[in-house]
Amino acid sequence: MLTPGRLFRRLRALLTTNQLDTELDDELRFHIEMEVAQRIRLGMDERSARASALRDFGGVSRHRDNARDARGVRPLEDFLQDVRIAARAMTRQRTHTAVAVLTLAIGIGATTALGAAVYRVLIAPYPYAHADRIVTVWQTDTRAPDRRVEVSPANFLDWKERSRSFDLLAAAEPFGMDWVGPEGPESFETALVTDDFFPVQGLRPLIGRAFLADDFRDAATPVVAMTETLWRTRFGADSALVGRTLILDSIPRVVVGVMPRDAMQPYGAELWAPKIFRPDERRARSGGYWTVAGRLAPGVTIDQAERDIAAIAAQLALEFPATNQSTGATVVTLRESIAGGARTPLLVLLGAVSFVLLIACVNVSNLQLAESLRRRRELAIRTAIGAGRSRLVRQLLTESLLLSAVGCAAGLGIAYAGIAAIRAFAPTGLWQLQRFSLDGTALLIASALAVVSALAIGIMPVAASARIPLAESLVAGARSGASAARRRLSRILVVSELALALVLLVGAGLMLRTLSLLGRMDRGFTAEGVLVTTVQAWGYYPTSAHRAEYARQATERLASVPGVAAAGMTSALPLAWPIGLERARVTIEGQSPVPGDDAPTMRVAAATPAYFETLRIPIEAGRGFQATDAAGSVPVALVNRAFVRRYFADRNPIGARVTFGFMSAPLAREIVGVVGDVRHEGLHADPAPGVFVPHAQAPTGAMHLVVRSAAGAPALLQRRVRAELTALNGAMPLSDQTTMEALVGNSLRERRFQLGLFGAFSATALLLAAIGIYGVMNRATQERRHEIGVRMAVGAHAGDVRWMVLRNGGVLAVSGIVAGSGIAMLLSRFMAGMLFGVTPIDPLTYAGAAGVLLATAVLAVLIPAWRASRVDPVRALRDE
Amino acid sequence: MITPGDRLQGTLDLLILRVLRQESTHGWGIAQQIQQISRDVLQVNQGSLYPALRRLEERGWITAAWGTSDNNRRARYYKLTAAGRKRLTDETASWQEFVLAVSRVLHTA
Repeated sequence: MLTPGRLFRRLRALLTTNQLDTELDDELRFHIEMEVAQRIRLGMDERSARASALRDFGGVSRHRDNARDARGVRPLEDFLQDVRIAARAMTRQRTHTAVAVLTLAIGIGATTALGAAVYRVLIAPYPYAHADRIVTVWQTDTRAPDRRVEVSPANFLDWKERSRSFDLLAAAEPFGMDWVGPEGPESFETALVTDDFFPVQGLRPLIGRAFLADDFRDAATPVVAMTETLWRTRFGADSALVGRTLILDSIPRVVVGVMPRDAMQPYGAELWAPKIFRPDERRARSGGYWTVAGRLAPGVTIDQAERDIAAIAAQLALEFPATNQSTGATVVTLRESIAGGARTPLLVLLGAVSFVLLIACVNVSNLQLAESLRRRRELAIRTAIGAGRSRLVRQLLTESLLLSAVGCAAGLGIAYAGIAAIRAFAPTGLWQLQRFSLDGTALLIASALAVVSALAIGIMPVAASARIPLAESLVAGARSGASAARRRLSRILVVSELALALVLLVGAGLMLRTLSLLGRMDRGFTAEGVLVTTVQAWGYYPTSAHRAEYARQATERLASVPGVAAAGMTSALPLAWPIGLERARVTIEGQSPVPGDDAPTMRVAAATPAYFETLRIPIEAGRGFQATDAAGSVPVALVNRAFVRRYFADRNPIGARVTFGFMSAPLAREIVGVVGDVRHEGLHADPAPGVFVPHAQAPTGAMHLVVRSAAGAPALLQRRVRAELTALNGAMPLSDQTTMEALVGNSLRERRFQLGLFGAFSATALLLAAIGIYGVMNRATQERRHEIGVRMAVGAHAGDVRWMVLRNGGVLAVSGIVAGSGIAMLLSRFMAGMLFGVTPIDPLTYAGAAGVLLATAVLAVLIPAWRASRVDPVRALRDE
Repeated sequence: MITPGDRLQGTLDLLILRVLRQESTHGWGIAQQIQQISRDVLQVNQGSLYPALRRLEERGWITAAWGTSDNNRRARYYKLTAAGRKRLTDETASWQEFVLAVSRVLHTA
């Protein structure tokens, strides 16, 4: 029954727990003193009297434990009590708890987000039937076999016919289909696929059907299949759409089915259509534009398939030396072809973030260690009133578990935000991350991390508590023994924190150097002020003459728009995705012989005369294109500086002839000028040899229309450019407009994101390490108050004391820097693939990282140093 | 119903209350008294004694105050309250009833 008096006493007990603990402590001490006195009276000497009294006293707990064990519900009851005690300890030490929980939340949250991303991209099985047997097959250039290139139709057909390693082999070709919807004309990315394409994946259509053999006949009714995403976003998830006819690319096509989200979307396709071969396409061997995927026959290994396909490629090289002389082939797992490029950055970032978690655990462990020593007397009392040693260990572990559970719960919020960021910044090729969310896997990872963290942070206090002679600490008061060992341990922990933080700082520094080098890289063109509008004019301008005329008119009209300084057109824009064929095999007359490289494949682009001026690509020798370079006149070409360097040993190439087929049968063209090199494929890629032809002489329908703003503000021109082009042709869809600066930004986007993550991780690590070193130095100066008092009493100045503390902190920081540099040198080579222009052991980066860490450590130690110098010797000595 | 556990715990409570009816004393004194009066048959664990004292105090049957012991040390002295006195009477009756019951069973069986 809860009488008012009882209620009061209970409340008092709750509110004055500490005082009651102290009273109990005093009372027990009195008891032991009385025992000792009695034993002395009975004839023992004081030493053995005390020892035997303590021994008997210590024995108490076991009897009591045994009595309670008999009750049966013990484990659960104990656990609940542990949780209660832990919760009480946590609420009592609010600051301590808040720091620990926040620290763990950051560590667990960030690691969960990246761990889940790694699982999704690198581990989670693909949702296809026999996913482990699905591979991709590529052509290689035997002179540079590491580079995988797309496959030509004739090679694909021969592979398929001659190879015995595959059940199924399918190809996909990039295509675009225009559609006039309620909001005007637009263009859908499309993949033209061969008959095995859907069988390879083994997916059931969401509605309708996949393609049938009949759909691939030359005279078949045109059909398409649609992605679930397009069906939902553009066609309102209308199931009546299947069977209906859409006018796509001016041709009526029947929608036969909608495929589920997981279906492969080569080239970002929103639609799939059966591949109907163009005349002679079955014999086209020179240019590759297909992506090939296949399913291995049961029991065939990837190595066997690779040998099989390489042998076929070798046969083809003998049979068709003109085109296949240096063409090899290779087989790659589906995962490697999708996620191969993401593996290194993902694993490096996961490594970095687990360092943050590690530092977080070390930090909390150190906090707990200090806390458990402060609570030594509480633990001793608990033993005195009947808790066994194992019970205390469980108690401490329960506290760690509770701490990390709360940290984990808070960490889920951080993981949620992290996952959203990863989803937003993921490269488009990694479609597994498009629907990335805080799912069961993430929760599982978070819980596992919470348990591991709990053990990691609990182990130190437990180890320390095992070394405390409990009964003695009751008798002798709080300030004895074991603390030197504890101090050493906690210094080691802080040095390891600093070392790990340094490793992350080095990583972030290397990324920062890479990005700044890339940003300052001479691109070969001026991106600022250029607006890009892309069109595919094929269907609207069916003949070469039409397309040439369209490009001429469009660029002329755009050039006359007020605010436009120059306007041009190219079929291949630097840093942009390819929109059409942009490579050809080029035979060069009058070149310096390059062994084994007599007819190299290189980039070929069509351009109008003003293109070079618009992008400010310099004409370095000879002349640029002119309006007189028309269909009927002498075929001409421009080459870039890299071309001249490689094939003309920097001699003058003007007047020499290059022969290649581009929008025509192979044709000899006269080199009339040399243009500057452009970083076309990425700011990190050295310029490769390339050739330009006048658009009028090679009128492709794939066009990037570029305009340079006189005022340097391309976005303002957007509407006018659009209006001008619509006035010229209202039916043809315009792609989304972009700027060259945006393309430059995009090319750095992934690295920026990686740097952002690395920066955030290392900043967190630095902050945690600063808290760590601050805490250790602060405790050290408190414990040494007496010593400092003595020093000051015998004449040390405040400055001497400050310097002493700073020096001690500095020793920790320098030890951390030395250890961290060693670890960084071992680990940084794993990120070599993410770096550019800087080696993984770049001295400048290491020095910078060390400087930042040292400065932070000194800042963190300044407060304890200042406090130490303010010690009042008289008071410090009296307190002792 | 009374379980053996309750009964044993109750027994220690009863003994403490009984000692304190005679004189107010500290924990060590209580343990000594019980041991002496029972002629060393009953030995009180310190590990049971102090929790029991806390329990009795919380229920309001005894009160505690700091005082000075015979040998001039600070000690916590326990004193029986009126409620404790009544409790002792009730418990003694119930204990005797219990002993009687047990001995009846032992004699007839």
